[in-house]
Amino acid sequence: MTRQLELCEAAVRIALKLGASEAEAAVMGGTAMTVEVERGEVNASSCVTDRGLSVRAIFQGRIGFAYANRLTLQQASDVATLACRAAKASPPDEKWSSLPEPGRVPSVQGTFDQAIARVTADEMVEIVMTMTDSAARFDSRVLPAFGGASVVTRELAIANSRGIAVEDAGTVFTQSLGAMARSGSIVSPLCSEIELSRRFEPRSERVGLEAAKLAVSCLNIGPTEPGTFPVLFDQRALQDLLAFTFVPSVRGDMVQRGRSAYADKLGELVASEKLNILDDGILPYGLLSLRVDMEGVPRGRTPVIVRGELRSFLYDNYWAKIGGRESTGNAMRGGGPLRSPPYATTPRIEPTNLVVEAGDQSEETLIKDVKNGYYVRDVQGAHQSNPESGEFSVAAVPAFRIVGGEVRHAVRGAMVVGNTYDLVRRVRALGKESRQVGFLVAPQVIVDDVRIVAA
Amino acid sequence: MSVADTLSSALGRAMDVRASYGEIRAQQTQSTAVAMRDGRVEALSQAVESGAGVRVLLGGAWGFSTSNSLKKGDLLKAVRNACRMAEATSRVVREPVKLADVRPVRGSVRVHVKVDHRSVDVSRKVGDLLELSKNCFSHDSRVRSVTVSYADLATDQTLVTSEGTSLEQEKLFAWNYAWITVKEGDRLASARDEIGAHGYELFETNSPDAIARRVVERAQNQLRAKPAKGGEYPCVLGTNVVGVLAHEAVGHICEADLTLAGSAIQGMLGENVASEVVTICDSALLSEGFGAIRYDDEGVPGERTVLIDKGVLVGLMHNRETAGKMEAKPTGNARAQDFRVPPLIRMRNTYFEAGDHAFEELLEGISFGYYLESFRGGQANLDGTFTVGIQNAFEISHGELGVPARNLGISGNTLATLREVEACGRGLELECGRCGKGQLMFQSSGGPPVRVRKILVGGTD
Repeated sequence: MTRQLELCEAAVRIALKLGASEAEAAVMGGTAMTVEVERGEVNASSCVTDRGLSVRAIFQGRIGFAYANRLTLQQASDVATLACRAAKASPPDEKWSSLPEPGRVPSVQGTFDQAIARVTADEMVEIVMTMTDSAARFDSRVLPAFGGASVVTRELAIANSRGIAVEDAGTVFTQSLGAMARSGSIVSPLCSEIELSRRFEPRSERVGLEAAKLAVSCLNIGPTEPGTFPVLFDQRALQDLLAFTFVPSVRGDMVQRGRSAYADKLGELVASEKLNILDDGILPYGLLSLRVDMEGVPRGRTPVIVRGELRSFLYDNYWAKIGGRESTGNAMRGGGPLRSPPYATTPRIEPTNLVVEAGDQSEETLIKDVKNGYYVRDVQGAHQSNPESGEFSVAAVPAFRIVGGEVRHAVRGAMVVGNTYDLVRRVRALGKESRQVGFLVAPQVIVDDVRIVAA
Repeated sequence: MSVADTLSSALGRAMDVRASYGEIRAQQTQSTAVAMRDGRVEALSQAVESGAGVRVLLGGAWGFSTSNSLKKGDLLKAVRNACRMAEATSRVVREPVKLADVRPVRGSVRVHVKVDHRSVDVSRKVGDLLELSKNCFSHDSRVRSVTVSYADLATDQTLVTSEGTSLEQEKLFAWNYAWITVKEGDRLASARDEIGAHGYELFETNSPDAIARRVVERAQNQLRAKPAKGGEYPCVLGTNVVGVLAHEAVGHICEADLTLAGSAIQGMLGENVASEVVTICDSALLSEGFGAIRYDDEGVPGERTVLIDKGVLVGLMHNRETAGKMEAKPTGNARAQDFRVPPLIRMRNTYFEAGDHAFEELLEGISFGYYLESFRGGQANLDGTFTVGIQNAFEISHGELGVPARNLGISGNTLATLREVEACGRGLELECGRCGKGQLMFQSSGGPPVRVRKILVGGTD
């Protein structure tokens, strides 16, 4: 057992001693080394270590939470005491059942790469230089504006009074570049390319080149035709559109609180029969794969949509117990409205790796298949969507016009409007190449009858 | 030994002699957070955290590192790590970073609040949130769920630099967010409300019941709203939408780091970029705003920075690095979310200056258009493409407010849109909110209501 897990167990013991009926402690955090690009310059880098300890103490349904960012026995005791005090000041949650019980922990392939711990600052600088040089070399009109590379190691140790005592760790290697192109008075939008991997696999040349190519292609602007068209969506656009509408609607908490449009639709056809969507918490090399979730519950696979039919929602321990179900291992921590580190928040339900099953078409055939429509690489403003109604109204940036089965030119000022719950019903074709963007592992998809608004 | 003395001594002992600048920014933060779902407290959270961020300029490159403890040994290690990172990057720097000169400051700054949230018992906070939650349910039986998130933070920050600055600053924030869902038949709708203050006067200016009424009314409007038409229409923007326009569409591209990266206004200082009724400022001086600061996180005094003056682009927001590069004066816009990250150029209180039109005059003569009352969120791209999601809108028909219009977004190009601004109304209303440029930052934005000749409305009708 590591010192981190020992600290968790100590904190649990202290909370119980102070009268808690149940207690859970978690140590989360890790290290990150980053080299940044700003305005085409590689001129800033950082190495940061941040770990913290949090305690949830329960006093007969009263739930207190506290955390601190130092890992000493004294801090563990202070945090446990603070959590107990918070619990006593809190009104009881009559829906509280209990903390999770231990389960069989699966093994997951490829979440940790030892090589990441050995990467030096000089190697990282070299990677970032290759990336910016590759972008700048492609075309003199390109400015590699923002981006960089980082190696991150994250650890997780959780213990609770019902017998959970688990640890896990993962690594992430990121290379990203946002490039702009400028020609006279025409400025491209910031065009980004990002490579995320569990392994240390430098592909800096490719990242730089792709960002630059995209930025330059945005200089060739043609007219935007408003109307209803088939649209080819890239993974990034898809991820954004799903994140703020579809994803909340398959969360168990949203379902049980009457906030999900899918609440009473289990077993019904809610999407195109071409769609299969799986939440895969143990996907080999998946960016969000781990053996356990952030309450220590074993991760697994949850089929969400099978041939268009809604099969299951995603749960953490709390909402699963309210609904009389098993947790699907989807408890996450960190982020939230104040962008907190993972140890500073209580669990909430989020997807792990949400996998949209790939189809069989190449990018080229997909474009041909669109015939007369648009190719939307990314969207802007998706976080302003209405999760309850599914309505969205976003700018398509960058986006291109497809005419006669060919990508003709970039468009500016185009908006994509509609409702995600209708959008998933109109998926016509799926590409064969999948990639992971954030939580989403998906191919490109063609959606029919998408409304494009333009001046 | 005081915190400042410990920091100063660590910097003095461990900073590489080749470094041209170094700083340690230490903080201790006390926080309370309450997450309430449908009147149930999901968790009452309390925390005390401390740490220090170290930034070093060596060979023209930045190095940054942190320590979660303020013990001298840990601080020395963080300073050495920052130097090591700067050194690695300095080998490839083409244009060395040069900082604009500032006068070192010494002193201590406290925030004046009516009610210090640290002195308010947590049971009163829970009580206020319960009242807000209950009132939402009682105002309309169609309310299905109410989510309330409250947080308050009290930070004591000490900044020590190798140039002799030694500055203690207090930072106080109280923040509340409410989100409700309503259902009628099969139709779901939702509305949000976000408020902030520096102290617990938060719920004095906005009583829990006033918030409940406001957010319920917004959701009710959506239930009876009809779909908006898609296309270009004349619009009157409410004060909080004007704020998002000032922040997202104008503010971000006037942050000098983004301007230098090639934003849409690059090279346009001194040029006409908007109609002459448009004056936009970013000010550290409006004390009720979330962006009120005496000094920024580089120790530069906060000021009122005019970005656009009667249509002419006259200023940008700077930190010491961009000011050094552009031979400008730092404006006090360098702000960091916490010690874990270095400061970036961030907005403070960003707003349109008031004009002299009554609200009715703004509506006059519009045969068909939209009044965009409140927003759901906003986003901007460097090329000036902005989007604002609107949660509450009304049709304008023959100069009069008409029926509500459902969830819509507006989008456009900043410069094209600013040229279409026809008139500004009276007054200045600021709304406290959050901005996420990599790091989270509390800021405010606002203005008077504003009339725009045409704006692209992303409607489904």
